[in-house]
Amino acid sequence: MEKMARVTTALGGNTLSGRTMFCHLDAPANAISVCRDAAQVVVAGRNIFKIYSIEEEQFVEKLNLRVGRKPSLNFSCADVVWHQMDENLLATAATNGVVVTWNLGKPSRNKQDQLFTEHKRTVNKVCFHPTEVYMLLSGSQDGYMKCFDLRKKDSVSTFSGQSESVRDVQFSIRDYFTFAATFENGNVQLWDIRRPDRYERMFTAHNGPVFCCDWHLEDRGWLATGGRDKMVKVWDMNTTRAKEIYCVQTIASVARVKWRPECKHHIATCSMMVDHNIYVWDVRRPFIPSAMFEEHKDVTTGIVWRHLHDPYFLLSGSKDSTLYQHIFKDASQPIDRANPEGLCYSLYGDLAFAAKESLISSDSNRKPYIGDRRHPIFFKRKLDPTEQFEYISSSSALSVFETDVESGSMDWFVHTAKQYALAGRPLAELCDHNAKVAKGLDRNQVAQTWTMLRIIYSSLGTVSSANLNHSMGKGSAALPLMNSFNLKDIPSGLGSESRLDRSKGESRTENILMDSSSTLINNEDNEETEGSDVPADYLLGDVEADEDDLYMMDHENPHAEEQEYSLPQEAFPLRHEIVDNPSALDHLQDKADSPHVSGNEAETVSLTPVESFSLISISHSLYENRLPSDFFSPIVRDTLLFYAEQGDVQTAVSVLIVLGERIRKEIDEQTQEHWYTSYIDLLQRFQLWNISNEVIKLSTCRAINCLNQASTTLHVNCSNCKRPMSNRGWICDRCRQCASMCAVCHHVVKGLFVWCQGCSHGGHLQHIMKWLETSSHCPAGCGHLCEYT
Amino acid sequence: MFVARSIAADHRDLIHDVSFDFHGRRMATCSSDQSVKVWDKSENGDWHCTASWKTHSGSVWRVTWAHPEFGQVLVSCSFDRTAAVWEEIVGESNDKLRGQSHWVKRTTLVDSRTSVTDVKFAPKHMGLMLATCSADGVVRIYEAPDVMNLSQWSLQHEISCKLSCSCISWNPSSSRAHSPMIAVGSDDNSPNILAKVQIYEYNENTRKYAKAEALMTVTDPVHDIAFAPNLGRSFHILAVATKDVRIFTLKPLRKELTSSGGLTKFEIHIVAQFDNHNSQVWRVSWNITGTVLASSGDDGCVRLWKANYMDNWKCTGILKGNGSPVNGSSQQGIFNASLGSANTSLQNSLNGSSASRKQS
Repeated sequence: MEKMARVTTALGGNTLSGRTMFCHLDAPANAISVCRDAAQVVVAGRNIFKIYSIEEEQFVEKLNLRVGRKPSLNFSCADVVWHQMDENLLATAATNGVVVTWNLGKPSRNKQDQLFTEHKRTVNKVCFHPTEVYMLLSGSQDGYMKCFDLRKKDSVSTFSGQSESVRDVQFSIRDYFTFAATFENGNVQLWDIRRPDRYERMFTAHNGPVFCCDWHLEDRGWLATGGRDKMVKVWDMNTTRAKEIYCVQTIASVARVKWRPECKHHIATCSMMVDHNIYVWDVRRPFIPSAMFEEHKDVTTGIVWRHLHDPYFLLSGSKDSTLYQHIFKDASQPIDRANPEGLCYSLYGDLAFAAKESLISSDSNRKPYIGDRRHPIFFKRKLDPTEQFEYISSSSALSVFETDVESGSMDWFVHTAKQYALAGRPLAELCDHNAKVAKGLDRNQVAQTWTMLRIIYSSLGTVSSANLNHSMGKGSAALPLMNSFNLKDIPSGLGSESRLDRSKGESRTENILMDSSSTLINNEDNEETEGSDVPADYLLGDVEADEDDLYMMDHENPHAEEQEYSLPQEAFPLRHEIVDNPSALDHLQDKADSPHVSGNEAETVSLTPVESFSLISISHSLYENRLPSDFFSPIVRDTLLFYAEQGDVQTAVSVLIVLGERIRKEIDEQTQEHWYTSYIDLLQRFQLWNISNEVIKLSTCRAINCLNQASTTLHVNCSNCKRPMSNRGWICDRCRQCASMCAVCHHVVKGLFVWCQGCSHGGHLQHIMKWLETSSHCPAGCGHLCEYT
Repeated sequence: MFVARSIAADHRDLIHDVSFDFHGRRMATCSSDQSVKVWDKSENGDWHCTASWKTHSGSVWRVTWAHPEFGQVLVSCSFDRTAAVWEEIVGESNDKLRGQSHWVKRTTLVDSRTSVTDVKFAPKHMGLMLATCSADGVVRIYEAPDVMNLSQWSLQHEISCKLSCSCISWNPSSSRAHSPMIAVGSDDNSPNILAKVQIYEYNENTRKYAKAEALMTVTDPVHDIAFAPNLGRSFHILAVATKDVRIFTLKPLRKELTSSGGLTKFEIHIVAQFDNHNSQVWRVSWNITGTVLASSGDDGCVRLWKANYMDNWKCTGILKGNGSPVNGSSQQGIFNASLGSANTSLQNSLNGSSASRKQS
């Protein structure tokens, strides 16, 4: 329990020391009050009236004032107050309406001194005059306040608030004659003790009962009030009209407020219900309590600062029958747990960032790493003004970092989604088209994948099919096209690189991305790209040879139509090379020098080379028999899985749709469904509804397909009689007219039909849009102001 | 490149959370000044405050949007021990001030006895559901059985985490293979060595959430936690903001490998750990594809992290809160080093590829 370290503060002559501690009371406390020398505390409640001395380590029961076998109701206290000038003098407010004074100097066991039975109902509050020894004030549920002179038998004067019950009375600390009273109807009254006929001033402080008030210890004009409306308000009474200068919103009705000694803007509060904690607020920062004590298990009923000049020790009594001494060092400070920053990535790659201003304005190097962010602020005697400032006036700067078009934004996704062709054309064309789209967006790797797929599935798979000649012709026509595209449009370095292997392509795109999104590392990045270009050149010869082969082959094609069947054979080196690459990934190249060395990715490494080598050997031995495209299915499957793992579900789903049955069986239904739902979700985020619908339509998963079938009913009104259409046809069964006539061209609308929900008139989407560009009224002439958004 | 656009938020105290909606067109901010503001993006890209209202009687820690399928719905949580669901009312815009929309409170969730530190809507496929976590270490999961009635929420689950909770994240995966899962972070700063990130998974058989994993390596207070958007991955990626940024991957082991019918076991790897913020990290946020992570720390900077093809995570950008570029020489040194090493490995791999080709 290092938390419970002892604290010592020097107060001129006497010293306060102690730790966070508590003792069990026999009964719930209603109020506590502390003796002038801060060494003793009195606890009063319905069934308890005791004095404890505050020792270093514990509370020690000194005196039980509740004497007699069957104590009278006079002992049942609603409030207790210890005189600040006479340490033998106490006063209690009894629940039966009696005000009792107690003299501890009495030799007998019963210390009861005087009894004032003037109030008719419960007395809520008693208060001694801060400088006048014999003056006692009481406020009661019956709506009266009474002032007693302890030397006399009866009250000196009675003040009628003419309001409802009095909840609190407090003598002003600075003004000798003034006291404040708070009422259940939300009013606060100021009285002059010499003028019992009429209050000096009255104002409405709260919405609902005002439970408490407290005069500021130093500033004579400040009065704090707390009410059931969960607010603490600080009023400046110096002006002619009471002016609200601070308002603190707490989370529950405020039962007690107490200004903190020596800290001008601090005030402690506790609540009447729900909330058992004690808060200390800085009124200048009214939203977050600067300290919080969470020890009590039930409602806190009384709080009092242990010494008039010590801000670190707070005593509290509670309905949970405990008496606590709280030390400021052990307080929890909510602001320390509060997050000073907010950060959110938007759909388009924009970043919203809100941060405490002091964090971003300060030089980042200036502030070293502080493990514990707690400032020992409450232990500074005289608070450092600058730090104080930061502590009380925190605000955040909000900014949005917008990505520009060519870098990290998601434009590529939208473009790709819009431009991809997924169905309606032969496979080869789809693949070529999509490859071109990908290439156009600088996504070489994806483009390469599409080209590969075309080669695998279209030139191969069709060999055995019936209309082989036709599709082969198509395939071969497309092939040189692609090739020339490669050779012409791409600088040789890049072209070779993109042919190198996928890991290379990957790193390339990585570079591009890093390039664009980083502000810092441009130089380094360039170095890297340069560096990576060198080996590319080194390999160029090898690749070029392949390409030459390919090119040759393509040239041969038109010459010898009858050689169509041999085309696949010649194409094999190419196919081999490309197919080899995705499966081998980077591991193959990594480990080729010493295939048995295992790096940090040992398990994948050990697998991949074997697979790819076997693949190579097989392809060499089998190519003459024309490999069925099924042969490549595992590789294509792995490719798709790879894309999905990389976060590019778009490619995975698009390939899945384009290849359809060819690959569908390779991937388990659940994964497919997962891809589809993810992709559809993404499309909908970008509000690409039509594309998302197309994807749903083209999907082969039953779970996805049925997304289209759900909630397809639209309820419309007949445009003639404006009553709901009940049957399914076009004819309204009430007025026997066609309901879906275009209000502009007066023809029946098929296809996209738009109508106003206000007047039920509508028509062709194009017509209505055009109409409403020039007019704001309904085209049907009904006078309705239609709006098209 | 990023262009910083500064917005005069006009909150009277700290802003604790910023949140974009599903389509990225709207933004909500919440602050200690007990209010929430909604910002709409205009055609020219400016953000306009279209609503600002007092939501709670304490600091508002978090605000989040629901999926738009359920309407324009926000949920906020606060120091005042409640979470509140808000819905935008459209229609009577004419008699209101032009451009100001109207939000009404649909419900207040009052079950917590302490500050509600985070609230998140569940992924859409689970229905209209949300989870809250509170400082007393309880995670509560609420469901609105009727999505048309936002004022009725029933408390479905109460999970006791034993540690004061600070943040929560749903696993966004929509795969049927992945059961609903929640990661909970704790900012408990007492000197114990308990795991500060716990992962709870829904068990179909018992119909309860049970602890599936605890990230034992995370022992410092956790301020934020975020699962990456899943997008068809077979595994999950989890970012943790503690005294540094950490990224974990969680690979579900196949069911038949785990003990019968119980919870999924995960193979957990820490794939990245960065202390470049040199201080507490407060927030982490993923981009839409789950490939870039943004983090912000006490240094007032936002850093972007991205993995390369080798699954090596690197810093790809630093953004200063006030939009100015960062010129810390030490950081550049770090970059040099990391990129240099990547460079050599790349060369190795290229040489390797040529060698392998000759072999074949």
